[in-house]
Amino acid sequence: MTVAAWLLRRLVASIAIIVAVVTFVFILIHLAPGRPCGGRDEIVDPTICEQVNRQMGFDRPILEQYGLYLVALAHGNLGYSFSLRRPVRDAIDDTLPFTLQLAGVALVLDFLLGLALGIYQARRANRLPDVILGNVTLFVYSLPTFWLALLLLLVFGEKLAWFPVGGPSDPVLCPVIDSAFCVADRLWHLVLPATTLGLVGAAGTARFQRAAMLAVASQDYIRTARAKGVPERRVVLHHQLRNALLSFITRFGLALPFLLTGAVLIETIFAWPGMGRLGFEAILTRDYPLVTATALIASTIVVAGNLVADLLLGVADPRLRVRAAEDLDIVTA
Amino acid sequence: MLLRPSLPSFVVIGVITIIGCERRGGCTGANCGTLINAAVAEPGTLLPPSSEDIVANDINEQLFLKLADVGMSENTLGDEDFQPLLAQKWEWDGPLTLVFHLDPRARWHDGAPVTAADVEFTFNAYTDSAVGSPFRPKLRRIASVTQRDSLSAVFRFRERYPEMFYDAVYHMRILPAHLLRPVPRDQWRTAAFGRKPIGSGPYKFVSWQPAQAIELVADSTFFLGRPGVRRLIWRFTPNLQVAVQQVIADQADIREQLVTPENVERARATPQLSVYTYRGNVYTYLTFNERSQEDTTKAHPLFADRELRRALSMAVDRASLLKSALDGLAKVPPGPMSALLWIWDPDIRQLPYDTAQADRRLNALGWRDHDGDGVRDKNGQPLSFHILVPTSSVLRRQYARLLQEQFRAVGVRIEIDELEPSVVNQRVATGKFDAAILSRSNDPSPSSGIAQTWTRAGFGGSNFGRYYSPEFERVVDLAVTAASRDKAKPLWRAAMETLNADAPAIFLYALDNVAAVHKRVDNVQLRPDSWAAVLRTWRIPPDRLIDRDRVER
Repeated sequence: MTVAAWLLRRLVASIAIIVAVVTFVFILIHLAPGRPCGGRDEIVDPTICEQVNRQMGFDRPILEQYGLYLVALAHGNLGYSFSLRRPVRDAIDDTLPFTLQLAGVALVLDFLLGLALGIYQARRANRLPDVILGNVTLFVYSLPTFWLALLLLLVFGEKLAWFPVGGPSDPVLCPVIDSAFCVADRLWHLVLPATTLGLVGAAGTARFQRAAMLAVASQDYIRTARAKGVPERRVVLHHQLRNALLSFITRFGLALPFLLTGAVLIETIFAWPGMGRLGFEAILTRDYPLVTATALIASTIVVAGNLVADLLLGVADPRLRVRAAEDLDIVTA
Repeated sequence: MLLRPSLPSFVVIGVITIIGCERRGGCTGANCGTLINAAVAEPGTLLPPSSEDIVANDINEQLFLKLADVGMSENTLGDEDFQPLLAQKWEWDGPLTLVFHLDPRARWHDGAPVTAADVEFTFNAYTDSAVGSPFRPKLRRIASVTQRDSLSAVFRFRERYPEMFYDAVYHMRILPAHLLRPVPRDQWRTAAFGRKPIGSGPYKFVSWQPAQAIELVADSTFFLGRPGVRRLIWRFTPNLQVAVQQVIADQADIREQLVTPENVERARATPQLSVYTYRGNVYTYLTFNERSQEDTTKAHPLFADRELRRALSMAVDRASLLKSALDGLAKVPPGPMSALLWIWDPDIRQLPYDTAQADRRLNALGWRDHDGDGVRDKNGQPLSFHILVPTSSVLRRQYARLLQEQFRAVGVRIEIDELEPSVVNQRVATGKFDAAILSRSNDPSPSSGIAQTWTRAGFGGSNFGRYYSPEFERVVDLAVTAASRDKAKPLWRAAMETLNADAPAIFLYALDNVAAVHKRVDNVQLRPDSWAAVLRTWRIPPDRLIDRDRVER
């Protein structure tokens, strides 16, 4: 099988996964108790709820709603959000960039810090720095994300006032990003949410990377490199790290779901106007079209991320390309 | 050297430099100022007839004017205490006809004059079932609104009653007919106008960044006087604690409700904040469902029994609950009312807290602990029921647990069902509950809210427990039509005492609102029914302006 054929097969499988996720979420949210009406906390007059349900077609049989939804989706129509009173697509367009900014910065922090710590720990395996860092990363990894978020907000936002308490930008100076100052302001607002999300991820990545580096360290080619007198820095970075990167790339695929689910909590706590918060509030208000759309987008990102990770694996490891050519699925390799 | 010259160090220095170079604006006069309100919810729309949420109302107070509004006295009877807004003056033309004369200086923000045609259009829209306005039932006693000339609008009522004027002006914000007439009425809930409104109020709409903020700017030509603060920003934060943190960290100026004693303490300890207490417009109660969960035409196996409800009410020490949970931030309501209502009277007769009497009454009803398991039972059935409470309310969840303890002490077992608000909403509306802890807000008049929630008019609506008392309804009818407060007050008191004796609910607490506002703001007035109603009169003296007040964009 050629790489192109493999890619085509993966694309088809990816689309099937996305359709399955959308179907599952669509049915689940419709079957869940609670009704799509009004605000989060207020009891809305039942007559208004009935009117909303009629207007939105929520009173029709679920299969009919699903059929109509698929037809609309095929035409690129994600539906209408009754809680936001605007097209779902507009809401996604507004919020997705914020989630990508947050997840992107968190991902960079996660991988850079995690990678550095993992390498450092592996080079000092079972020595005091490794033991200390191992416990620290385990501690951070075990922290509930929301708790860490609230702690950082309290200490660095409220008490020390080093960083803003929530929001994506200064509402007075930068309601829109139209200058270098406002770009910096956005980054400033990103520090706490991205650190929360990235720190917990980095702790996991560090442990992952340390184990991968140690697994490679005992390989013959590492011993041979050292015996040939290759400098230690080169041994670590060119021989050991390169081979340990395979698991790192696999973790990239796994990190996306973590970041997107983490973003739900982080965005809510830090008042970050992203898609995670949008989806969370949509679930609370039983805004069916919005819930389904956020699931669709999130699953697409995750599936695409995994596809990219698989491709990168193929690039990084020639053995996998050979196996793919032999009709082996890279994912299982 | 702390930082060696490298790419990261240049980035850090660059960011710090840019952040440090905060742009200084030029505004230094008396009408400068920017106030940021830390709001915990975002409105769905800013089109008044279709917006039922509180934040939308706060913002619409600035954008759309009423013909007149209640004063700080909140007197809703007659017209003496009302303040003119769009209407310069008014007169009664017979017992059922009220004529408003519009202020000729009033303009829409696009420059068009406000006319009587707008008033007529507004009434027709609010009362059109296609619009589905929640205010529609409150306008049912107005027969029509017509225009006599371009600046005179004529209201004709179906009957004569003391709150005619209040009904005519309080529920409707006048809308621009020239902009909304082309929009089909059944599409108003989702109309684009609702996200980019044009009003006639003291502030003009500037921008709406979804899930972030709404910005308004003062209309410097506002016909009733230039607003004191130049810019208002509602910043949306989905979490109350974070909203409070923003105010404490000086990143917002207003949090109109601090809600918990801890937040109040923190605000009091913050040097740049002033704390204001004002009457709340919400009361919270444990309602008993008097109808079967399976079939609302049948009686509930427990709560259809008036004597049982009375005994359970006597088992609850509401004062101690209040002390445990709210520590001076609320009062025990003497009936279904918030402290906003003028009928509030602590001397209204209520069932006493008396566990001995509750014990005797339960015994007399046959509810005894026959099997010694600590729970009363009758005919093999334990005296046990579920309390429904939304997960979104920390306070109500806390109250549910405290109630559970107090009921346990008299041999009643409580199961607490903590559910998402949308599920609570569904179950309460469909009668699928035993008891529920609910909150209701009052407008300044007792007439509409109490009748709507505690009489047959509210069946299928907000009378979720389906309480019905012919005597209560008779006295309420008399109270609603009483000509003055002096005549109405004893009638309301009698109605409340009838209801309290029937114990359809246990009225737990009526919150006092406590707001935190930045100290640099002068002339802070918070009207209890709508804290932002007179925001245009707030001022920031020039010598107290801070950086964000001076910023020009």
